[in-house]
Amino acid sequence: MKRILSSVTDGKGFDVGLVVLPLAFLFVMSGLPLVYNVVMSFQEVDMFSLGSFARPFVGFRNYVDLFSQPETRPILFNTALFVVASIAGQFAIGFGLALFFWTNFPGASWLRGLFLVSWVMPGLVVGAIWNWILSGDFGVLNFLLRETGVIDGNIFWRSDPNYSLWAVIIANIWLGTSFNMILLSVGLSGIPKDLYEAAELDGANAPQRFWTITLPMMRSTIGAIIALGLIFTLQQFDLFAAITSGGPNNTSNVTQYWAWDLSFRQYDFAKGATISVIMIVFVMFASVVYVRSTRHEVRG
Amino acid sequence: MSEQVRNRLMLAVALVLAAIYLFPLYWMYITALKTGSAMFATPPKFWPSEPQWSIYADVWQSRNMGRYLWNSLVIAFGAVALISVLGVGCAYVLARYRNVWVDIGLFLILMLQVLPASLMITPIFVGFSQFGLLETPRFAVILAIAAKSMPFFVVLVRATFMSVPMELEEAALVDGNSRIGAFFNIVLPLARNGILVSAILIFMQAFGEFVYSKSMIQAVELQPASVGLNSFMGPNTNEWNNIMAYATIYVTPILAAFILLQRRIVSGLTSGALK
Repeated sequence: MKRILSSVTDGKGFDVGLVVLPLAFLFVMSGLPLVYNVVMSFQEVDMFSLGSFARPFVGFRNYVDLFSQPETRPILFNTALFVVASIAGQFAIGFGLALFFWTNFPGASWLRGLFLVSWVMPGLVVGAIWNWILSGDFGVLNFLLRETGVIDGNIFWRSDPNYSLWAVIIANIWLGTSFNMILLSVGLSGIPKDLYEAAELDGANAPQRFWTITLPMMRSTIGAIIALGLIFTLQQFDLFAAITSGGPNNTSNVTQYWAWDLSFRQYDFAKGATISVIMIVFVMFASVVYVRSTRHEVRG
Repeated sequence: MSEQVRNRLMLAVALVLAAIYLFPLYWMYITALKTGSAMFATPPKFWPSEPQWSIYADVWQSRNMGRYLWNSLVIAFGAVALISVLGVGCAYVLARYRNVWVDIGLFLILMLQVLPASLMITPIFVGFSQFGLLETPRFAVILAIAAKSMPFFVVLVRATFMSVPMELEEAALVDGNSRIGAFFNIVLPLARNGILVSAILIFMQAFGEFVYSKSMIQAVELQPASVGLNSFMGPNTNEWNNIMAYATIYVTPILAAFILLQRRIVSGLTSGALK
């Protein structure tokens, strides 16, 4: 007994104690729900059997049912579009801004940091602001687009089935651009300056330097940021709740909102769990890519 | 001289870019001060002609914001406390050793970091309701947020511990400190700033958390400000000045804290996400 006690205060037991408790907490609060999620996706879960553990197993019926629903395919397509468009927008604008602030003038780093306010704000507040900006008749975005002659009539961003998903994408690009920019800036500042001096001596012009030095040197950073972007866009829920609620008629619905909607609006917990399982497998795959692309730094 | 001109020019362009990017924020502050009719004017005014300063007090009272913000604070402080108590030690051990087990632990933690809350809420909700945790919904939300955010905290704080020289701790051990003594007297004070910044980041996240609170807290008296904002925004609302006033009251403390601590938060964030 005394040996154990002294090990805890002054030996290996100290480290083990420090690490076991949090890992046990994470196992109970994240690991078990993951397993439970898979179990539920093979069960029949309704309001009556919600409280009991002994629910009838139905095999793959939830999966079969899910994919025979007419809205499944459009929602999966929406998710892909949401992810690709959001990441493309965030990355392109973020990279442009990062390159601009890389030129390093007085005040650059402070101003660059200021952009990050979009990222620390509660997602629901961001959603509320964009909901108002994107409003059809009185939205300021429509006004600006009209004044600059881009559009003739008002676009009803939130209620027009052709635009509802883009309303959320615009808000999400705004939200994520700053984070992309900050991480890309870190990557840019890691490129040795003498590479550019050497290239300049060899007579390479600015676009050539960008394609032959900046991009290749940034490859691992870009890989990590794209993977992180995938992870973050698949986590995005608040904007959907605040701007379109997945409507009208599921035209702006994506899987991560749909899973919640199935469980908590339609009380179909089995279907909610089923779509969750599918998406979690997908997210896990993305995070393996992310961890691999930062692995040398994780170890180092 | 040309250097100075170039710097001025770049700064001017940067300010314009920042102004464009931060316009939505400006629009929130401006809309809150507009009257009901000024809000729907075409063309919209970009400067309120008769600012309605009383709107903040009105919204605070009519939406019962004190209660909402108090619940947000309870949830955020609870989550930060739980995460700090559990996460600091974990990060310390993961930083101090380098072997296969640490690699496996880190990998698992990074994997847990990426699970979307809106997908995890289904099993968490069902499990919590079966174990009676939903009787104390705010505590249930704190547990769920802690599980969600602790991996991020551990990654950030581990980077801080990595920068504390191990020789200092070894010297304290040689001087007769126990492991516990060395940890609390030497290592922890040296890592204090990094831990504080990480805790602030977690606090900001938890303060704005929505999915878990929306799903698990049914009683209005216990709901945080994010859920309150959500129920304020009906599908056909036209109270946008009031909603923006609500958003202003909710978000301004966070923005003020962020601007004050900007440098530390940005450097803490980047060290965690890419290292």
